Amino acid sequence: MNDFLRQFLIESRELVVQATEGLLLLEKSPHDADRLDTVFRAFHTLKGGAGIVAFAMMERALHSAESLLMDARSGKLSLNPALVGDCLTSLDQVSQWLDTLEQTGELPTSIGKPSAAQAPPDWATILVGRHPGATARAATAFRFTPDRDCFYKGEDPIARVSSLPQLLALEIEPASPWPPLDKFDPYTCNIVLAGLTGTSGGEVGAQLRSLSGECEVRTLKSAEAPATPVLIPEMVRKVLQEQLALLDVKEPLGAAGRIASVGLTAANAMRFCGLDAHAENFARAAQQSSTHGSPDLRDAIAQLLRAQSLAPAPARAPAPASGATGAPGEPVAPLRTETSARTLRINAEQIDALVRLTGELTVAKNALGHTAKLAQANGDSSAALLKEHHGVLTRLISQLQSSVIGMRVLPLRSVFQRFPRVLREMSANLGKPTELIMEGEDTEADKTIVEMLFEPLLHIVRNALDHGVESSEQRRAAGKPAVARILLRAARDGDQVLIAVADDGAGIEVERIRQVASDRGMASREDLKDMADSDIIDLVFAPGFSTAAHVTELSGRGVGMDAVRTAVERVGGRVSIASRFKAGTTVSFSLPFSVMMTQVMTVEAGGQMFGIPLDAVVETVSAGKEAFSGVGEARVIVHRNRTIPVIELEGVLNAAPERRQRTETDATIIIAAVNGQLVGLQVDRPGERMEIILKPLDGLLSGTPGIAGTTVLGDGRVLLVLDIIGILQ
Amino acid sequence: MTVICSAQGVFMLEGACPGEDAEKLLQCLASNPAAIIDIRRCESAHTAVIQVLIAFKPKLLNVPRDNPIWRWVLPSLNSQE
Repeated sequence: MNDFLRQFLIESRELVVQATEGLLLLEKSPHDADRLDTVFRAFHTLKGGAGIVAFAMMERALHSAESLLMDARSGKLSLNPALVGDCLTSLDQVSQWLDTLEQTGELPTSIGKPSAAQAPPDWATILVGRHPGATARAATAFRFTPDRDCFYKGEDPIARVSSLPQLLALEIEPASPWPPLDKFDPYTCNIVLAGLTGTSGGEVGAQLRSLSGECEVRTLKSAEAPATPVLIPEMVRKVLQEQLALLDVKEPLGAAGRIASVGLTAANAMRFCGLDAHAENFARAAQQSSTHGSPDLRDAIAQLLRAQSLAPAPARAPAPASGATGAPGEPVAPLRTETSARTLRINAEQIDALVRLTGELTVAKNALGHTAKLAQANGDSSAALLKEHHGVLTRLISQLQSSVIGMRVLPLRSVFQRFPRVLREMSANLGKPTELIMEGEDTEADKTIVEMLFEPLLHIVRNALDHGVESSEQRRAAGKPAVARILLRAARDGDQVLIAVADDGAGIEVERIRQVASDRGMASREDLKDMADSDIIDLVFAPGFSTAAHVTELSGRGVGMDAVRTAVERVGGRVSIASRFKAGTTVSFSLPFSVMMTQVMTVEAGGQMFGIPLDAVVETVSAGKEAFSGVGEARVIVHRNRTIPVIELEGVLNAAPERRQRTETDATIIIAAVNGQLVGLQVDRPGERMEIILKPLDGLLSGTPGIAGTTVLGDGRVLLVLDIIGILQ
Repeated sequence: MTVICSAQGVFMLEGACPGEDAEKLLQCLASNPAAIIDIRRCESAHTAVIQVLIAFKPKLLNVPRDNPIWRWVLPSLNSQE
């Protein structure tokens, strides 16, 4: 089902509920004009939605109901229970259609399906039926069940089967139901491989001969297309399975009533699917069963179910124990089991509260870990137990965290979809025809990330169009297509979400940036000469930098690129820019998937504990006194052939009131990467690694440079987490 | 090591994953049933590994569609009830 239909499904369900509630209330107070309006609007919106997805049948049904309501509004009709009933009936029909849509993923094309009777097809026929695209070329169907111990023989059945020549379709199913996670043996092969190939059966057999297992090969007669089995919706199948379970009840009391009820329900279910012939068949069988006590009805239902799948799922509900059977003769209502995992709309604030609570829970869990360590140090007998409980809690909380993170996830589409319009307007204003290409809109990220992205992306896109893309004439002269291209691309890479905005415009002229930087006194001419081109390009992120010759309505005021970097770094992301002169520019964002958890490494400096975000830490080295050398005022070490400046953390943070004598022992240096540059932070002692929920500073302390936030440690102390970039400034 | 477990419940399968990785993957899933598996850099995987993926159907990221094995296996990984 595509997103469009999924959205339609969610909204339609809500509207059906809204309309139903409204109608029921309206029945009680027929003169409530506001209520009538609400109900009318719900019907109208439902009809509109059906029109958009081209669901003509639903549109027609709702149109009739809507007309009735319109007449009621204008006073032509009185709002009587019959009218309300008709409207409710139309909503029931709509609900059924929505159920079908949800199960099959397709819009129902008729109230039921045309009937077609045939013999129960075997596995090969069903396999062919499930792969209509491969039918024309399929010559052989095979079903291979590898030996359960085949892995020990060094066999790799999937690799072998998927390399079969002219393989057209492959299905992998469990040979027996999957055991639960804790009983799962990864080295027992429990799969059946079924597939279609374009080669002969002999060839398939020969190819699979080297594997141990059972192989069935069926040659397909391609001339006569196999009849597709009658497919009944999942819901109806479940109803029929329940009926079988009911027939299997051995309690003689009320048996006749059960047969009659099952016959009626099964026949009704068939009529719902439009399979009238089957309905009559069931009715006849029920008659036979109740008069002769024969298993006709059971056989008929079982046969239909068998035709539905290779192995009919065992009746989900076991036959109820005798004595627990329903009242005899009572009609069994068609069960609506698990038809819909309905969507809940939850206020974002509630989710945020859950995130905060999970954070508190993590802190509490860390405290327990601390207690366990203390107990162990004291030789307490309960230490092992505490540790074990801490382990269980850690696992549960990590699951809770994943679920909570999952709830806050949104597709980037919600940001990307705003750009086609923005770009259309901008390109019209600037007279630069531009095509926007978007990739990976389905990539997901935390709500916070998705929501903060629009402004930075807008800025980059504006820049690309305003400064990057040339006019059509210039483009033609440069041998480029007249229509410029801007690519907006997103992808997930492990814990990171990567976003790139690429244009095929003029690119960045490095010399011009050198010139502007020198004019503004951002660095000396000599320094600028020595800097690599990529470092020069990076200068555009410096505050107040703009090379644009003109300030336009769109951009060029020099505020922005630094704001972009600040915004991205605030959520723990990075932004970089790469450009080829005359060929285009790419701005790349690398953002964390979730902002909830941060990994930090604790260090001790000046007698105090600090946290350093782990993603900045490259390595920890221990350096003797002789490793240091002085370059001007600064101290550096040479590590792995690179000269790395070293900063004493306690000095920067003023952590120690008086400067202590530097000890003669080896110094511990944390090497961190900041914007691609390495810097060494000298600390007293490295600590441990931990996962924390970072709380940004607020109130008077907000914006304190060098501090990214805080968290509470297991023993109740507050850990300051450093912002390395801030420290270096 | 070809199964890499990461902090935020994302696991990476990398390179050619031998049968032994099935056990590692199972442990990852046992410790974090909501785990997401990133298979962008997974060139091939042994049946035992794929079996774990089919049985527990974790969410997969970056499925390499042009890969001969994943191409055939993917429909079975997606056919969730």
